[in-house]
Amino acid sequence: MLSRPGSLERAVFGQSAGDLHGIARAGDSPARDAVVWLEAPYARPPATGAAAPRVVLDQRNLSFIPHVLVVRVGTKVDFPNNDRVFHNVFSFRDGKRFDLGMYPVGARRQVMFDQPGLSRIFCNIHPNMAAYVLVVDSPYFARTDESGAFTIAAVPAGTYTYHAWRPGAAAELTGRWSSTDGGLQVEWP
Amino acid sequence: MRALVLLMCAIGLVQPRIARAQSVVAEAALTGGLSTDEVSAAAAQARLFGDLKNGIRFFGEAAWAGRSLSDDDHDTDSFNAAYPYTNRVQIIEAYGERVFRPQGGLAGIRAGRFRTPFGIYNASDHAYFGFLRAPLVRYDEYSPLSNSLLEHGADLVVGVPQLHVEAALGAPADVGEMTRRSGLDAVVRLQGYYGALIAGVSYMQTPNSQLALDSSGRTRVTGVDLRWMHAGVQLRGEWMSGRPTGEPSATGWYADALIHRPRMGPVTAVVRIERLDWTDAHAGEKEFLSRQTVGARIRLTNALALHVNALHETGDDEYLPRALDVAVTWTVRTP
Repeated sequence: MLSRPGSLERAVFGQSAGDLHGIARAGDSPARDAVVWLEAPYARPPATGAAAPRVVLDQRNLSFIPHVLVVRVGTKVDFPNNDRVFHNVFSFRDGKRFDLGMYPVGARRQVMFDQPGLSRIFCNIHPNMAAYVLVVDSPYFARTDESGAFTIAAVPAGTYTYHAWRPGAAAELTGRWSSTDGGLQVEWP
Repeated sequence: MRALVLLMCAIGLVQPRIARAQSVVAEAALTGGLSTDEVSAAAAQARLFGDLKNGIRFFGEAAWAGRSLSDDDHDTDSFNAAYPYTNRVQIIEAYGERVFRPQGGLAGIRAGRFRTPFGIYNASDHAYFGFLRAPLVRYDEYSPLSNSLLEHGADLVVGVPQLHVEAALGAPADVGEMTRRSGLDAVVRLQGYYGALIAGVSYMQTPNSQLALDSSGRTRVTGVDLRWMHAGVQLRGEWMSGRPTGEPSATGWYADALIHRPRMGPVTAVVRIERLDWTDAHAGEKEFLSRQTVGARIRLTNALALHVNALHETGDDEYLPRALDVAVTWTVRTP
């Protein structure tokens, strides 16, 4: 049994891990596209190089799909253009800064997200296109569905500091959760 | 006006249903504008597009536009970028398409009613500044090409993303003032890219315009287009040459820069220079129009954008030498 200072206080590695089920709400409504993650400074580091995980943020129907993407530090994100027009994906505010230039239908560009933080993604040709890439330094994260529900898979038993973020919210939520608590409910006022 | 109300009601009816389907998008845009060319205009566009089953996608756009010219002593192409000013709702595009990616290749087929795939032709290219003027080479009175050209037919794409050929075969189905005669219509386009540079060559052979003196002849147009974009700066240019009305040739070009650097916040700036040379069909004299434009689009809110363009023109006395166009566009989109 591990017992270390910091946010991961009573994680029990070696014991069976369980899925964390929860729900996120904003006032009386379900919080769709919210992200919940658990701090896990002692988790196994992510794979690097060619073995680094890859996920896709698609461009289709003049939209980024999904609207919110959450990845672990060290993840390569593919930005394929599967639309019918040109796109120019860029991010210049916080988080990872990049500009992929303009590329046509069928082409694909890639970005390595190597630092935690929030990147706001836009298209320089279509001002209505916007998305978020939230990079977390933890393997335990999830994005909520339309009903606000989320599941973080295979969480080792223990007590964690959790964080929750959603588009448009003024503040990130933070709290404590223990695997003995059962489910997790996060609520924005 | 009744038609516009019906159009917006249709969007309202569709909206709650499509909100449950992530793969379908509905968009509506309302625009109003004024110009020192003594022109006022209003327009509405409604679009519905998305994914159907088996990888088939669809796109539909309807538009209504009305324009008043209060001074009959001069001509203008103000607010002539993307709308047919017929004062009734018209279907602009309505097509289905399927794109295949066989082992890194690119193949696609589109069928229905679509914009003529010549040069830089997408609505998102020339409607980028929403309501403002089309380049002279895409202005249907003297040029052989127009933003209002449409096809009823099929469009094929074959190649790889880096280099592909697009071929469209169909019949003219134009909207607006200049329409082509009926007949077979063919467009071929070769497009390639290297890095952020994209180049294309287009060729079109199509029936003459209704305005042509020669009713049996065909219009042939050749064009070259280049564009490059990086770090918030997009450079574009098109050159094309052809016969606008079955008469002596017209040749034109434009080059522009669309600039949206991080420090510019909600402002996107445009600078364009352009020229069109043609031979008057009746007098047999060579004429030209030359224009320089400086403008901006300013996002006031997520849904509201202001467009301002200042222009200087020379070459044709029917056009005022200077003009200022101002327009506001309100856009709503679901989801």
